[in-house]
Amino acid sequence: MIDEKNKVMEETERIKSREEEEEEEIWSWGAGTEGQLGTGKLQDEHKPQLIHSLSSFGPISHISCGGAHVIALTPGGRVLTWGRGTSGQLGHGEMVNCLHPKSVEYLEGIFITHASAGWNHSGFVSDTGYVFTSGDGSFGQLGHEDYISRCSPAQVLHFKARHVEQIACGMRHSLVLLKGDTEDLIYGFGSGKRGQLGISDDKLKSVSTPQVTLGFENVKIRSVTANGDHSAAISMNGHLYIWGRSFHGAPDVYTPRRVTADLLFSQVALGWNHALVLTGDGEVYMLGRYNYNVPTGAQKANGMNHISEDEGVLQRVLDFNSTKVVQIGAGAEHSAVVTADDGSVMTWGWGEHGQLGLGDTNDQTGPRAVSLCNEPSRKPCVGRVYCGSGFTFVIRTYTVKSSS
Amino acid sequence: MSYDDVEIEDMEWNDELQSYTYPCPCGDLFQITKEELKIGEEIARCPSCSLYITVIYNLEDFLGDSKKPVEPSKQQPVAVA
Repeated sequence: MIDEKNKVMEETERIKSREEEEEEEIWSWGAGTEGQLGTGKLQDEHKPQLIHSLSSFGPISHISCGGAHVIALTPGGRVLTWGRGTSGQLGHGEMVNCLHPKSVEYLEGIFITHASAGWNHSGFVSDTGYVFTSGDGSFGQLGHEDYISRCSPAQVLHFKARHVEQIACGMRHSLVLLKGDTEDLIYGFGSGKRGQLGISDDKLKSVSTPQVTLGFENVKIRSVTANGDHSAAISMNGHLYIWGRSFHGAPDVYTPRRVTADLLFSQVALGWNHALVLTGDGEVYMLGRYNYNVPTGAQKANGMNHISEDEGVLQRVLDFNSTKVVQIGAGAEHSAVVTADDGSVMTWGWGEHGQLGLGDTNDQTGPRAVSLCNEPSRKPCVGRVYCGSGFTFVIRTYTVKSSS
Repeated sequence: MSYDDVEIEDMEWNDELQSYTYPCPCGDLFQITKEELKIGEEIARCPSCSLYITVIYNLEDFLGDSKKPVEPSKQQPVAVA
């Protein structure tokens, strides 16, 4: 039965890739000593590396990067993981690292539509609305009403009768988005010490039983995001909500707070001390600041303009060669975007492990273009960027002209 | 400059490393041993990069063997299929 479903999935993937006549490239760079770059090597890479280890699995539709591990999904709902596995976050049934992308056997036969990699844990959502977690559970971040780590994905039974849409995994907490007929609900579990669960006005430590995040009554949610001790959500009508550890030395935010700005947001990406937001018009704004080796006192990066009424904490990031941005990503202390016109990738922030992909270990205060030249004559039609704590992945899709 | 100030109760005891640890943004772990804490060291370093954190703790909690030190959360790996 499971084999049959797999065959159908593989066939679907094969037909899809043939019809669209697309070619895909996957690149990675940055910290690599846990095998997270998928290069088969245990070393940092300062320049983008073209990854061949995924090609046997067919096209990749989505990637999520965690502290030092990666989850990749195929259009057929298959799950591949690699990198650090010492807490069970790879879901391979053992607590060891894996240098090469490997299929998560436990999830074979289940069509996974969404996944998120946290610091040392992972979450997977199926097309039927089931959610599974594996990895470090010592803060209750797996949602199984205990504090136990798991090396195989286990279904979160709290949501057994519900339809889960998304999961977002942070450093020590998780958020789950449920889409209902009348209203959407966000649940939080794991460490709540910095307010990142949004479930109580009071300071609390950890909860292992999912609890409803406050403040989203009658709000339709597009997406939830978590990283470090931060949490964020974007509503269908373009409002940005943030809770958890504060970005600018202010007190932590224990219940979700809407960021007041005369802008409509479409995406948010969280680092450990900064957030990147994308507007519907393709403009990028930054909350907070990088915290690596910053000099004491105020730091104002190049290429930024204060715009927000929020005491100037929301800053516009310029310098994208005057083009719009279509997608954003944030590592712990670096940022990456894909620009609209030619799908080029730009990075800035902390660079000590080569996570900016600029060929060195320098830090950058403003966006710089990453050279991804395999065949310079070919222009990608779609590019996606995904950041882990100290590393970066890019998927580029090229349309191949039909020979007929 | 210290990357962050972290309370000892927010660090995790790692048996393999025989150290208290806290996630480093590079993907590795900031580490400090009980011996270091006993002599008043408050900087936990990451073996993979230049960053370090300042550990906030009571020195008295780590002096002498009779006193039980702070017990931070301990990972309990179990294999669940």
